[in-house]
Amino acid sequence: MPIKDILLDWRLHLSVLVITVIAEMIGVIAIPIGIGSILLLPLLYAFVMGLLVNPNVISGARALIRDREVHAASPLIVIAIMPFIAKFGTIIGPSMEKIIAAGPALILQELGNLGTIVLAFPVAVLVLRMGRESIGACFSVAREPNIAIIADKYGLKSQEGAGVMGVYVIGTLFGTFIFAILASILATTGAFSIEALAMACGIGSGSMMAACSGALVHAVPDMEEQILALAGASNVLTYATGLYLCVFVALPLTEKLYDLLGRKEPSKAGA
Amino acid sequence: MSDIRTDDIDLTEEPKLGLGAHAAALAVVCVIALVGNTVATENTVPQGLVGLIILWVMCMVGMVLTKVVPFRLPSVAWISAVGILATLPWTPGSAWILDKVSHVNFLTLATPCLAYAGIAIAKREIEIAKTSGWKIAVVAVLVMTGTYVGSAIVAQAFL
Repeated sequence: MPIKDILLDWRLHLSVLVITVIAEMIGVIAIPIGIGSILLLPLLYAFVMGLLVNPNVISGARALIRDREVHAASPLIVIAIMPFIAKFGTIIGPSMEKIIAAGPALILQELGNLGTIVLAFPVAVLVLRMGRESIGACFSVAREPNIAIIADKYGLKSQEGAGVMGVYVIGTLFGTFIFAILASILATTGAFSIEALAMACGIGSGSMMAACSGALVHAVPDMEEQILALAGASNVLTYATGLYLCVFVALPLTEKLYDLLGRKEPSKAGA
Repeated sequence: MSDIRTDDIDLTEEPKLGLGAHAAALAVVCVIALVGNTVATENTVPQGLVGLIILWVMCMVGMVLTKVVPFRLPSVAWISAVGILATLPWTPGSAWILDKVSHVNFLTLATPCLAYAGIAIAKREIEIAKTSGWKIAVVAVLVMTGTYVGSAIVAQAFL
């Protein structure tokens, strides 16, 4: 699509502007639940409102947003997250000393991303009886670099490809909610230190980190700078190391586990 | 990777837009962010405007670096690096930059992005979610919980 069409797509930008204003006017809503509280953030309302005007979701929305706008919106996601990432950088910079002090924990927690395999893989293979799509689904948090790995090795039309795309799509649809809710619940229970929860927010996705660290900041406003600095640093580190961890550790490990636990015969019945 | 269509997962590769186009699109996004910032916070329009201009410049420097540096890193990694370097305590002028960008609320900057993301969900993505069914949804929730709790446990152990 020519760039002019993207820039001049006033229906798209105006919709986003209106959505942003409404979302910010609503503000943060905290819903107390038993062990913590769930924080609903303006960015989550913005996502939901975006879905509500998306003609693929609500067909009546076609009057305002057409397929053109849906296409034009895609490259703008990356561009729209850029000022946010720059702002994050300006929060990391001044806190560099604190980050260096947290260094070993910050680097080692990248290994915690293997938690996707520990928690999800046994359930996928042993409980849900899924086939090789469980490899693609569980080896990583299924963001763009991870899709590239699977596409490169198996192709996206393979079972592994279906697995990684499935988790990618669910993550795209609900990831910000899930991380915001996880972060706010864990922050209010007190089981983890806030620094650890902040570092864990570095998932390798700008919007998920935004939702996750945003929820933490609202739960513990006094620690705003520290939370943002650690989450941002961890996210940068995930961008830098995540690919290597996946290629050299996570994917081979998942395959080994599949050989051990998985079905022996090739089958498409899992999904 | 030839079977990745650009409208499926645009983020895998940088959109095929030139620097000038990026600059213009980024300006559009910044205007939306400025309105959001004015609604959400006590900051005035001039304060927000100066802050956003600085952030815009950082993004542009980051994008230029993405293009000229020989090894491949995502542009967000470069932009983040520019933001960090500009505000390190020992960088000259960092106090001034920090003061200016402090008038832009970080969470508000993410709101337009998520609005675009909601609008960008394509039919194919909804179909994948439907056909992959509830099993993949369960696994996806576990995957996300796993990476978050896993990282938090390791971080907690070494802090």
